Amino acid sequence: MNLSAKNKWILVIFSAVAGFVNGFLGGGGGVIVVALLLSAIKLNQKNAQATALLVILPLTLVSAAVYIFKGLVDWTPTLWVTLGVVTGGIVGALLLSKLKSNVIKIIFAIVLIAGGIKMFF
Amino acid sequence: MQIFLLILFGFLSGIIGGMGMGGGTLLTPLLSFLDLEQKTIQAINLISFLPMCCVALGFHAKNKLIKTGHIWWIIIPAVAMAVAGALCADMATNKILRMCFAAFLISVGIWQLVVAIKFIVKNKKQSNLPVIAQPMLPSVILDAESNTHDQKRKK
Repeated sequence: MNLSAKNKWILVIFSAVAGFVNGFLGGGGGVIVVALLLSAIKLNQKNAQATALLVILPLTLVSAAVYIFKGLVDWTPTLWVTLGVVTGGIVGALLLSKLKSNVIKIIFAIVLIAGGIKMFF
Repeated sequence: MQIFLLILFGFLSGIIGGMGMGGGTLLTPLLSFLDLEQKTIQAINLISFLPMCCVALGFHAKNKLIKTGHIWWIIIPAVAMAVAGALCADMATNKILRMCFAAFLISVGIWQLVVAIKFIVKNKKQSNLPVIAQPMLPSVILDAESNTHDQKRKK
């Protein structure tokens, strides 16, 4: 598929936003990247979610390098969380090809809103 | 107890992250329940994501779910701005970062909710049509969203 000039600009601008958000907030860029892959490149939902990980990997790598360089990392909790995240990541990757995503999305959205409200207070 | 919660919160976020749905957006509010500074939480989020991402990518590559066409149009500007974002985070206070993340979470949550409900309503409308009017797609295998995108591409 060839990209139109308009879609190329959309990709560049929103990717820059996703990168900034991921670096500034330490995450969250993936949600924007998935939306971009769906709307500008026209991937289907599962391909977009899987491909988003490939996009997020290098920008997380450079953001993490800055956080390490600036001495913002507390390694003890980081290692425990990483243990859980890797185990959960394997389960999630196996589930992606089996589950219908709409129900998960609704649950996830409600959790995000609740999490956001909690963080405000 | 703290170690158990760290592993549990990591595991729950890992499931969402492994599905490519944004595990980081879940891990940050979960870790905010513990006595950790916002910058520390963000650093944990970024670093713990790296090995999980490599493992999940291996599974997705095996299932042929990764499509690399036009991907450089996203990666190059995103990487450049990620460095800028991380440097800004170092300069910002923990309180500002926390407020920004909260606002981001609520916005994304509302957006995701609207998108998911729209897909469900659309899917229900399609299933109410007479069988003869429905496209000959393998709808048993594909979920509603995949169907919608495939139909758009065919048009």
